[in-house]
Amino acid sequence: MLNIIVCIKQVPMVSELPWNSKTGTLKRELAQGMMDPASRRALEAALQIKEKQAAHICAITMGPALAEEILHQAKALGADEGVLLTDRQMAGADTFLTSHILAKCIQKECKTFDLILCGAQTSDSETAQVGPQLAEELKIPAIGYVNCVEVKENIIEVQRHVDDFFEILNMDLPGLITIDLSAYKPRYLALGGVETAFEKPDIKTVSAGELGFDKDFSALKDSPTRIIDVFSPTTQKENRVLKGAVKKVVDQLFDDYGKVISSAMGKDLKTHEHDEA
Amino acid sequence: MDFNPCLKHQLIRKTVSEFAESEIKPHVSLLDKESRFPQEIVEKMKPLNFFGLQVPKKYGGAGLDTISYAIAIEELSKVCAALGLCVTVHNSVGIFPILKFGTKEQKKRFVPAMAAGESIGAFCLTEANAGSDAGGVETNAVEDENGFILNGTKIFVTNGGVCGTILVFAVSEDANKNNIANVFIVEKDRDGFLVGEIEDLCGMRANPVSSLFFEDCWVPKKNLLGKMGQGIKIGLTALDTGRIGIAAQALGIAQAAFESSVSYAKERQQFNKPLSKFQTIQNYLADMATKIEASRLLLYKAAACKDSGKPFSAEASMAKLYCSSTAKEVTDVAVQIHGGYGYSKEYDVERYFRDAKVTQIYEGTSEVQKMVIARSILSQPK
Repeated sequence: MLNIIVCIKQVPMVSELPWNSKTGTLKRELAQGMMDPASRRALEAALQIKEKQAAHICAITMGPALAEEILHQAKALGADEGVLLTDRQMAGADTFLTSHILAKCIQKECKTFDLILCGAQTSDSETAQVGPQLAEELKIPAIGYVNCVEVKENIIEVQRHVDDFFEILNMDLPGLITIDLSAYKPRYLALGGVETAFEKPDIKTVSAGELGFDKDFSALKDSPTRIIDVFSPTTQKENRVLKGAVKKVVDQLFDDYGKVISSAMGKDLKTHEHDEA
Repeated sequence: MDFNPCLKHQLIRKTVSEFAESEIKPHVSLLDKESRFPQEIVEKMKPLNFFGLQVPKKYGGAGLDTISYAIAIEELSKVCAALGLCVTVHNSVGIFPILKFGTKEQKKRFVPAMAAGESIGAFCLTEANAGSDAGGVETNAVEDENGFILNGTKIFVTNGGVCGTILVFAVSEDANKNNIANVFIVEKDRDGFLVGEIEDLCGMRANPVSSLFFEDCWVPKKNLLGKMGQGIKIGLTALDTGRIGIAAQALGIAQAAFESSVSYAKERQQFNKPLSKFQTIQNYLADMATKIEASRLLLYKAAACKDSGKPFSAEASMAKLYCSSTAKEVTDVAVQIHGGYGYSKEYDVERYFRDAKVTQIYEGTSEVQKMVIARSILSQPK
């Protein structure tokens, strides 16, 4: 039996996020949560391993109490158990402390793991730091940006896309890999799976105190890195309305923007010849 | 009283919405234009349990409660009402009567294939001279030694063009020569069963609504659903359940039209300001939102009544009446807010407008819903 841990994260559903137009920041409190797309691919990789061999999948997340939802989703997809790290003391953790807390939780709750899977980077912060840092904390090997995983006895063989070639690597277990966003297209959740997940809705909740942190611990204050500001990048947009007869307007469009459009499309718009380069 | 959706219901909503937005939405406009039933999308829906929403797991279904069922239909219909119609009719009036009134043998024989989506269900009551008046059914069943011979024509059958398992209302004579109503389960490959041309309808164009013909169509006695003479009881029970589904479908259409309207009102500039800055438009949006919220509460109450085992006939009728009325009114205002573009096929709201109307007609017209509600009120003890 292969013991797999999948670290997943709840992120805001960006498509539905209201923006504060004055500050340019996301109103996270109004956002609906969803499972981070890369985390979901890591879970998919675990589910595909489980389809081939006996495996136990434990999904772990750290976040507010509402993050429980993605653990139920993970169970509905096929995970065997869910662990929720939630506590006000853990709020505001940077990637360094997040990895540290996750490592402590794994050492306490899931000591006998063989393989840890993480998404390469989450859609909300995109640091790609938690996976590798977690491996450092647990003193296990790690491989990032993996496209394909195959478990062979006590090693795993992984493939990843590096520049213009594929790299195949072996790694001893226990070990950690992060799954690239381009790999493992996640399956849709079957509605019967949701019903089954909620027939046994137990989610183990772990607090900071249970992991040995004292009451003075504050992830927000104790994190060595700080976010100074979050803002949406400003872009220079210009709207121009070309008026007049159609032929004249089209000629003007070609004169003013023809090169830019041709370059983007890779062909000369006037001659319709493709750019060989 | 807790008005917050539980985690399970939230997850059901997100699950269906994710699938519908990714796999159905890009094709809806063309499906409507071509009046084409999207079998390729149905294939993707089969393993996700859309065709066995409330079927117990032992028969291969999802085993959902009725609120989850309503949410699933709402989210599906928000993107494609014609597919929402297929799924709700299949699950409610197609499968439910077999689960409720069928023998163990019938459940084993018919339900697994239906829950897997391999055999789509249809419910045939309406005829040229019978619809709201179920007593006017002329399709007849004559008993022979081993079964029944069915003769008659059913019209406006939802899923007619793709159905595999059909529940047919037919009258027969009892020992005293009185007409009694019965329901028979007919498989599509029976001799004497024919599918008519697909109807050219105003809305729900991706659903193959058709006539079905039964010409000396013989079925064995084991295909009689319930007992002889139980037809009206089975029909009314099925329709109560069906009405929850149609209410959910209407709600989904209304929600889609509302969201389009909010989005358009924020974008569209007139007199140098967005439409949303005009009080008239704000009033439209406020009325739409209020009606939708009231509809949703009525719908979930009816679903909760069914789940708790309480009578839910009047509640289902109230939900169906109000949700369908909301859908019609909200889609009408949505077209108005969109102006000329709302009347153009370039935007989805004209489809919502066409799809909404029929929710006031099928599975019992609004007038019939009022009869059901009034009957419930007047039958209460003082």
